[in-house]
Amino acid sequence: MIRVASLLLLMIGLYGLLSTRNVIKMIISINIMELGVNIFIVSIGFVTNGVAPILTSQVNSSLSNFVDPLPQALVLTSIVIGLGITALGLAFARKLYKKYGTYDLAKIGGMKDE
Amino acid sequence: MNNPVLLIVIPLLLAFLSVIIKKAGKWLLLVGLLFNTALAFFITTGETIIGGFAPPYGINLVVDQFTLVGVILINTLMLITIVVSFDLVGKYSIVLLTALAGINGMLLTGDLFNLFVFMEITVIAAYILSAQAKKYHHTITYLVIGSVGSVLYLLGIILLYNLTGSLNMADVAAKLPLLTTKELLVPVLLIFIGIGVEVKLMPVSGWVKGVYSNANRLIAPLFASVIAGTALFVFGKLFVSVLPVSDTLTLLMLIMSVMTFVFGEFAAFNQKRVKNILLYSSIGQAGLVTALFISGLVYAAVILLISNVISKLIMFTIAGAFTEKYETDDYESLNGVFVHNKFTGIAFTIAALSMAGIPLLIGFYAKLNILIGFFQAQNYVLPAIILLMAIVEGAYIIKLLLALWAPGKEGQVSEKSFAVEKKQLLSVKNTIICLIVALVIIAGGVLIDITEKVVTDGQPLLGDQSPSFTISQSKGGE
Repeated sequence: MIRVASLLLLMIGLYGLLSTRNVIKMIISINIMELGVNIFIVSIGFVTNGVAPILTSQVNSSLSNFVDPLPQALVLTSIVIGLGITALGLAFARKLYKKYGTYDLAKIGGMKDE
Repeated sequence: MNNPVLLIVIPLLLAFLSVIIKKAGKWLLLVGLLFNTALAFFITTGETIIGGFAPPYGINLVVDQFTLVGVILINTLMLITIVVSFDLVGKYSIVLLTALAGINGMLLTGDLFNLFVFMEITVIAAYILSAQAKKYHHTITYLVIGSVGSVLYLLGIILLYNLTGSLNMADVAAKLPLLTTKELLVPVLLIFIGIGVEVKLMPVSGWVKGVYSNANRLIAPLFASVIAGTALFVFGKLFVSVLPVSDTLTLLMLIMSVMTFVFGEFAAFNQKRVKNILLYSSIGQAGLVTALFISGLVYAAVILLISNVISKLIMFTIAGAFTEKYETDDYESLNGVFVHNKFTGIAFTIAALSMAGIPLLIGFYAKLNILIGFFQAQNYVLPAIILLMAIVEGAYIIKLLLALWAPGKEGQVSEKSFAVEKKQLLSVKNTIICLIVALVIIAGGVLIDITEKVVTDGQPLLGDQSPSFTISQSKGGE
């Protein structure tokens, strides 16, 4: 269920990218896509009634119902990269607005030399 | 001392240093590049474990003959690009050093997720470099397409992780035969599209025109030969040794690659600006290289890749100089520009003719290898397409060279007075560097025994691939 929901988010993000030419909305769409993939990654490691993969006095067998810790480590990296790209995208969006006075890529397309 | 991890770590360290010591940034960049290029010649094949966890749990760097060729080639090309356009580096030294680290990481890593991280480092640096032209809408288009590509690649490797339980390339490759084509269809195609954005495959190469055509003498060769070359090497590693897939998938990817090739070459034929011709030709050649990798002709693909990135380095540098000096790169308004710059013209011409596949240049040896390889595999459709496209390629290259060398319109007797006004395109130092690189193109084509030895070093490139055409073989046939 959660995987279907996360892929649905991915599709919503993709639809957003295809349907708008507004830079800010495009960056939000990319974020929604990344969110979908991140939820999907976490869902890969999910185990029903799982426990944290740490050996303690209560959980002392490696045969326990461990949650896969790797996807969670991956998702952290992926979130940070997503943040970096969003920040960079917004910086470019600001420069774009300063130069052309609009966020609409369709309008800018007809405005200039090439 | 010759630990391959230094290729990644030293540029990163210098990048941090150049944040602190801003004034020395340019020189730190040069130090980093010289260090990397020198070290690239000394690293040996083998595996380096990072962080103390043995693979498949930990991350490792894998150096095989294929990677070694890539590391030496890409670091040298980047050094040449930066030395030629050292005056344009300015405040970009931090970004360039980060890109250098990312590029080496992409080439060396043996882990799929680690590849994603290094790819993002390189791509973010590339976004910033593409903004140099101040055409922010092109940069944003690149950023959007690039981000979608990254997301799809990430989804692909996660699906692969779900299927195989590993992200280590060698481990994934070992477990792949247990999976059916149906299971592999989605992850492999997602990875293909994700890498395809940087490789410039057709449906996702919409960003290329905006970014390449506005790039200057520094950025254009950096994109066209360094970053594109790295992406192609990574593509080869992934689709030859990690994900060698079955018939249906191969056919799908082959069709996309060949369509990119045909589209690129035809689009190049229709262009009026030098950079546009070159960028569409890059797209076309990238499609051909991926088609060769997917068909399993690794040696032919690597030779074509090498010949193409070296040619593009010279040509994009000179095309960048056109925009810099004449404020246009429309070849009709650059009539006879090489009459004033004969040596620059000679370097450009050698690079262009090598691309067209004229004998005695490395491009010819590349094309010969491709054709013989396909004929030996009894595949006759692709050689037909390649030869047909060679006519298109030859046509636009001759058209371009004629316009740049001969002053005057068609039907006029060409006289020096018809040429554009005299301006020095490249400084003496840069012309000499371009000529030396052009000499490498000639040497690579004439001394094919040495070319073969340098590229393969007697070892197979990713699997049992031997060159299809060698001197000894042709002598034996007589």
